[in-house]
Amino acid sequence: MDLTPLVEAAQNSALSEWMRTSLKAVAIINALHIMSIVTVFGTIFIVDLRLIGYPNVKRSFLNMHHELLRWTWGAFGVAAVTGVLMFMVNAVTYHRNTAFWLKMAAMVLAGLNMLVFELGTMKSAPSWDKNAIPPTSARLAGALSIVLWVAVIVFGRWIGFTKGYDFTIPEDVQFDFPVQ
Amino acid sequence: MHAFAEWLGSTPLSIAIQSRLWLTPLLQTIHITMIGIVFVSMLMVALRVLGQVRADQPLAEVWHRFSPWFWTALGVMLGTGLILTIGEPVRQASALSFWLKMSMILIGVTSALYFGRTVAAAAGAAASSVYSSRARVVAVATIVLWLVIIFLGRSIAYDVEIWESWHLA
Repeated sequence: MDLTPLVEAAQNSALSEWMRTSLKAVAIINALHIMSIVTVFGTIFIVDLRLIGYPNVKRSFLNMHHELLRWTWGAFGVAAVTGVLMFMVNAVTYHRNTAFWLKMAAMVLAGLNMLVFELGTMKSAPSWDKNAIPPTSARLAGALSIVLWVAVIVFGRWIGFTKGYDFTIPEDVQFDFPVQ
Repeated sequence: MHAFAEWLGSTPLSIAIQSRLWLTPLLQTIHITMIGIVFVSMLMVALRVLGQVRADQPLAEVWHRFSPWFWTALGVMLGTGLILTIGEPVRQASALSFWLKMSMILIGVTSALYFGRTVAAAAGAAASSVYSSRARVVAVATIVLWLVIIFLGRSIAYDVEIWESWHLA
């Protein structure tokens, strides 16, 4: 599937143009993205650790799941919106960026891991809700989630170093594509 | 301060950091992962005061669950942040965001130390204690403070865009 027309349309949109020309938009959106992604990671990390059984299994898993994941989802919503906006600013280059696709792949895997857990493993949760070591499938889901969300942060940061955010192009730099 | 930053940037240590191109993204990644732990540890304690999580658990216990993570991750942040600063001292010193962030961290750390002492002294409080509106305001302020710290951390790279003529260069 060729996404190029869609990617070009995103980059040529009025919103994208506004973000590129605005002095502060990219900076503020980027900061909001970090604020939300660290909240996603931190809150899900607590749930994942509980699944693994660390530091203990004294507290109800289902209660923790209920209390924390609404914060995770709320933050994820902000991260998704700011992420799409950041993508739009420079869609064509992100679309060609390996780190960007690795980040998307890690997110898809994290999502699949969550789906398998939520729709399958979690059905048995009442039997290991507290004072019991969760089954291997649950502990595996927790461990995978930690690894995948750390990967999301790693690749996310790598995007910034393989594709600059700075739109001011130094005079002595030659580009092999037309600069608008 | 600017002269000191320029001198620091010319030291062999700084040049060694600058010349390892993989080091900065690696340290920033660790730094970001750690702020997630620092922020959410504080968030959990603040949400407990607000009655949003662990309402059945005494505040002192919530603090003891999360404070080791808070302090450890903060220590790692200090280490990675220091190396990053030595690698780019001029950018840091000329960023208003950097100095504001450091001031905010000082407030955040001082209040966490104070809170840790207070909570230890009040460890006998009932499990289901509901907190005063003053305590709730402090809890919300703490969440906002750490969010502002994250915001300022990211804006160091965009200091001119964010602060315009307030940028210190």
